[in-house]
Amino acid sequence: MLKKRNNWKTIIALTTALVLVLSGCAGTNKASNTDKNASPAATTDAATAAAPAKGGELTYALATSPDTLDPHRSGLAVAVRAIRTIHDNLVAQLPDGTIQPWLATEWAVSEDGLSYTFKLRQDVKFHDGTPFNAEAVKYNYDRILNPETKAANSAALIRPYKSADVIDEFTVKLNLETPSNAFLGNLSQALVSIVSPTAAQKYGDQLGKNPVGTGPFKFVSWEENSQITVERNPDYKWAPPLVANQEAPYLDKVIFKIAPEEATRIGSVQSGQVLAGETIPPQNILALEKDEKLQLFKSNTQGLPYTLFINENKAPWNELKARQALQAAIDVDAIVKTLYLGTYDRAWSPLTPGTFGYDKSLEGGVKPDLDKANALLDELGYVKGADGVRAKDGKKLTLHYVDGSPNREKRNDIAAIIQQQLKQIGIAVEVEITKDVRTVVYENGNYDIYGNSQVNSDPEALRSFYHSGAVSVGANQNLPGFKNAEVDGWIDQGLIEKDETKRQELYAKVQQAIIEQAVIIPIYVFPYTIAASKTVKDIKFDSLAYPLFNDAFIQK
Amino acid sequence: MLKTISIRLFTSLLVILGSLVLVFVIVYLLPGDPVLSMVDPSTVTPEVLASLRAQLGVDRPLYEQFGSYVSKVLQGDFGKSIVNDEPVLPKIITHLPATLALTAASCFIAAVVGIWLGVLSAIHRDRWIDITARVVGLFGISMPTFWSGILLILIFSITLDWFPAMGSEGWKTLVLPAVGLGIVGAGFVVRLVRNSMLEVINEPFIVTLRAKGVAEKLVMYRHALRNALIPALTMIGVLSGELLAGTVVIETVFSRQGIGRVISDALMAKDLPVVQGVVFFSAIMYVIINLIVDLSYRMIDPRVRRSQ
Repeated sequence: MLKKRNNWKTIIALTTALVLVLSGCAGTNKASNTDKNASPAATTDAATAAAPAKGGELTYALATSPDTLDPHRSGLAVAVRAIRTIHDNLVAQLPDGTIQPWLATEWAVSEDGLSYTFKLRQDVKFHDGTPFNAEAVKYNYDRILNPETKAANSAALIRPYKSADVIDEFTVKLNLETPSNAFLGNLSQALVSIVSPTAAQKYGDQLGKNPVGTGPFKFVSWEENSQITVERNPDYKWAPPLVANQEAPYLDKVIFKIAPEEATRIGSVQSGQVLAGETIPPQNILALEKDEKLQLFKSNTQGLPYTLFINENKAPWNELKARQALQAAIDVDAIVKTLYLGTYDRAWSPLTPGTFGYDKSLEGGVKPDLDKANALLDELGYVKGADGVRAKDGKKLTLHYVDGSPNREKRNDIAAIIQQQLKQIGIAVEVEITKDVRTVVYENGNYDIYGNSQVNSDPEALRSFYHSGAVSVGANQNLPGFKNAEVDGWIDQGLIEKDETKRQELYAKVQQAIIEQAVIIPIYVFPYTIAASKTVKDIKFDSLAYPLFNDAFIQK
Repeated sequence: MLKTISIRLFTSLLVILGSLVLVFVIVYLLPGDPVLSMVDPSTVTPEVLASLRAQLGVDRPLYEQFGSYVSKVLQGDFGKSIVNDEPVLPKIITHLPATLALTAASCFIAAVVGIWLGVLSAIHRDRWIDITARVVGLFGISMPTFWSGILLILIFSITLDWFPAMGSEGWKTLVLPAVGLGIVGAGFVVRLVRNSMLEVINEPFIVTLRAKGVAEKLVMYRHALRNALIPALTMIGVLSGELLAGTVVIETVFSRQGIGRVISDALMAKDLPVVQGVVFFSAIMYVIINLIVDLSYRMIDPRVRRSQ
């Protein structure tokens, strides 16, 4: 980190020198000599990278309305974009998966993996003046556990946290029910960031409209369905190693405009009415790439890619051969290229690249093969009828494909393409687009295929989708209805395995088993994409692809 | 007159009460479990579900839920949002002005543009001005607002940069959405005014006026239009309801604040208390507007007064 900061100083110094020399006001011969002696790389840097300009307001159009700005209660990614600017975490996860200090300077894990002792920074204050200390950490995590908080996703993230002991003012020990390798990664997520205990007590269930954290920006106002404004926290000096600027941010304000209509959002960026806008659909990405006034920031999300789950509790998909036929007949490359025009990456595994334990060897493994698909269905005794649909014992081979509405990320179009692709091997796909996925899928389990994705920081995310103990659908199954004692064992072991290499191997086995047994069809990795005016510089991302504005500035 | 007004007031009250029942029942009949929509179904425990159900009161019988809902509403308590615990009434009150402004502005545009074009088109029947007005009217009626809204943004905001594409601060942000919504209403009004003008123009009293040598402009605007306006006025009452509903789409397209946005978000999130509150408020507004239209109709047209 220190090295990086020095780089900045060098660049700034060089830029200044260059400007002085070029303008010819104070440039002596000696100065220009020094300039010539500078390494070529540094000179190019100095010429292209401008020094961050202080001040200015960054307008940033969001795609939907946040539900709440209380990190512990939010369940929407769009809320996290704003939450992330106001709140910090104990630790930070870098894109390579390693955990680095943030509000905690160091930590030690007990031998049994059941307690984590954190040393905290001593110079941190919440925006309302409340000091940040061990009590505050304990208050926050206990708050998430407290049912009265009505914590949403944060309750799942904090698991298996049990209690906290305040050792001294700046040392806190967190106790866990069971050991968990995912714990530190989860603590880095914005949804378990630290809120001011004073504010939480003062505002109660209205904290979401009056958020107070320790983050680089302070909350100013939230005009519902219109905009959220945050302003620079001038005291800020505890930035995570994800960003270069360790001090207060350069921007005076970030104004999040809420613009659900795609055309309005993108049009406003193009016309310069807002400086940046998020969630840019593929066809616009191609057009915007050619726009000389604009640039794109893109970051692939981590966790589980968009995956089609084949429901093994519905015949004939309990048969391996039937699932393998689907795997061989669905041409994922064609889908991803047609719909996303090369702007999304195709997924190969139950995990996305970049997530710890991702098994690269799966890439290129599954290839479309209609002959193989047909042969597999022949073996199962399904015979093509006059209408081209296969049948066995008078029963037609149909597939009930459920997807949600609205058509997020063109997922409904995937269903339509798969309907065509499976027609070729004699499967009649009935597509059901419903506004009520919760009832159709999660309550009634009424689907043969249903697709979903999850942003997450650790492969432990696999548990809630593939472990037989994770019951999310009806009363007794996970999303694919997958039950496999071996896979259960690997996932359980992966949670506690201390050796990183061994842990990696465990998750590789899980991923391979899931693909070999054709439990799922992974489709695409979602890239979080921002279109911005070229004057906007250095928006960075955390490991889950949430934007960070610490380094961002507007070139004048 | 007083009697008529009090009867209308009484029936309006009945309508509002009826809407309260309807709102409650419809929301109750909506598919899907509101409690499940509050939690992450892949991680929630049955105990948490049960305690949430008890908190919301959805585990009690329907009549009990309704009873407690009505008694609370009468005390001005519309409950709290399921999503973020925000009280519903203040939320509606925050968003209502923007929607009212939009509805009023688009109603105004619909009335002015619609009546003006309608009269022109009747006077110049079957000439180019008439044909243009009719095409514009058809266009207004058949264009979906989300499309015309985007078109307006493309032309007047992104290309010409005359008006902002989003937001709800200041009069400038009101122009495009009001036009987008107003075109629809204008489409209806043009057709109606044109037809009733054509009817009135052929009435004997117009012939008499012309025979007496009254100036043609006076004949048209003072005598014919006044008679032709009566059906248009009724239409505007109905239209205000249409426009109110249209705000759901147009507020989303233009990223405006307003109760249209509130209810569409609430429906998506199955935020029942908010849905109930907004629908109930919309019903009240609709009833009030129609009450006003109804009464003014009686004032303008002597025949209606006499017939009672």
